[in-house]
Amino acid sequence: MNGRRTSGVVAVAPAAPRPGTAVRSRLEAALWFAAPFVVLVLVWAAAVRLYGVPLRVFPAPPDVAEALVQQARTGALGNHVWQSLRRVFVGTTLAVLSSIPLGIAISTNRSLAALFTPILRFFSVLAGIAWIPLATLWFGYGFGAITFIIFNAVFFIVLYNTILGVTRIPQVLRDAARSLGANRRQVLTEVLLPGALPNIVTGIRTGMGFAWRGLIAAEIIATNAGLGYMLFLARDFYRTEVIVLGMVLIGAIWVLIDRLILAPIERRTIERWGLARIVT
Amino acid sequence: MRRRILLPLRSFFMQPAVQGLGPFVLLVIVWALVVELEVYPRAFFPGPLDVLRAFGSLVYKGILPTYLQDSVTRLAVGAGVGMLVGVPLGLLIGLHPASYRFFWPLIIFFQAIGDIAWLPILLIWFGFTLTTMTFVIVYTVIFPMIFNAALGVRTVPVEMIRAAQSLGASPWRILVEVLIPGALPNIITGLRNGLGYGWRALIAAEIIVGTSGIGFMMFDARRSGSVVEMILGMIVLGILWYVVDAGVLRPAERATIERWGLVRQVP
Repeated sequence: MNGRRTSGVVAVAPAAPRPGTAVRSRLEAALWFAAPFVVLVLVWAAAVRLYGVPLRVFPAPPDVAEALVQQARTGALGNHVWQSLRRVFVGTTLAVLSSIPLGIAISTNRSLAALFTPILRFFSVLAGIAWIPLATLWFGYGFGAITFIIFNAVFFIVLYNTILGVTRIPQVLRDAARSLGANRRQVLTEVLLPGALPNIVTGIRTGMGFAWRGLIAAEIIATNAGLGYMLFLARDFYRTEVIVLGMVLIGAIWVLIDRLILAPIERRTIERWGLARIVT
Repeated sequence: MRRRILLPLRSFFMQPAVQGLGPFVLLVIVWALVVELEVYPRAFFPGPLDVLRAFGSLVYKGILPTYLQDSVTRLAVGAGVGMLVGVPLGLLIGLHPASYRFFWPLIIFFQAIGDIAWLPILLIWFGFTLTTMTFVIVYTVIFPMIFNAALGVRTVPVEMIRAAQSLGASPWRILVEVLIPGALPNIITGLRNGLGYGWRALIAAEIIVGTSGIGFMMFDARRSGSVVEMILGMIVLGILWYVVDAGVLRPAERATIERWGLVRQVP
């Protein structure tokens, strides 16, 4: 079902029978999720000790924990994480706010949409990392260039997906809304936006995935703060424990953003407004 | 009379090649106009002709073909190795529930670390070599392959497996004749996604590791402040991806889906 129900009844995911069991099964799922990591850390610790791998090549888990405590105490770690998150947040927000209205404006005209689609595909392929050299030249090294990379990675993919989403809405639905007396604004807010929402959300998730990688690359090249910079600085001093700490943080932060924020939103919008589709 | 002129003209504009290329012609014209009007200083924003001239000179010097070959070879080797490792692993995870439970969280986490975050430690291990770059690309390609191969075998309808079983097929034959063909459309989709990521990883690796390749050319141009070569690099990257995606991957995806998959639309 693509149409939105206006009766005020919100389609919620089927409620669990009792709140207690839901919490317990959630906890169980979390434990199952965590278990392989425990195994991995144990194997890692055993392997490093068994083969006597030097710290210069690869750290043992305690070294990484020590690096975490040490970096957190000086406040350097907090600053790096904060800088990275701020750049992602600013870049993504700007991109989403500008690309969705533009996408809808373009896609209301079919020939305009046909004109823009190949160009947008081209730019969404180029998005992100390929812009690093040019961005550093235009904006200098620092916040501007990196935010531009993030913006760029998200903007074109969301724009492309918005147009795709709107043009895929069956004409019947628009005609139905119009014949029921909806004005242009109502068609926009009740048909076009909700209909394109699954595509838009998928676009945001994909775009942010690319943006997060692009961020790390950009921070390695073009700044003096952030997680990517932390990694590369540590490389200069062969501090492998700081490098591994940075990698674990990069992975963990992205898993949290993606699994706890983006994936549930995507699932909800698709369940609510989209056709049945599998969200991985 | 007018009709006779307009009709071929119209059919000319309706051709897919023209519809695909037309927007780009327009884009180049707009670009040239903006440059001619000197909205931005020319040193920061060169025109299409400058880029074309740079293209000519770099091809003449043999730099561009060599770098292009380096980049494409790296991508192909990385994709090949990634497929050889990723597909069997994906099949195992998709078919074996216990290994699914164990590996799935790890896969999600390691995919989230991302290719580029591996570069610093890879540089310590392998230095500025081809191994570093191959590792990065294999790493990126492998995860979408695993994801999609696992998804593919898990979505093969159970009736098909039972039908094959009841006709007396051995487990090996079920794997080769039912499960793998059933998962093939997903595997190709995985390859397409994986190459999309691997492609970006390659550019980043070439920029940072920097020995040769299109990414290196762009970053080298950054050092000497040659905007023309940066833009040329971007265009080459874009076109190359277009050729690989539209010329090889999408037809392969469409063919496998038509042959083995359920009716599905290829975006």
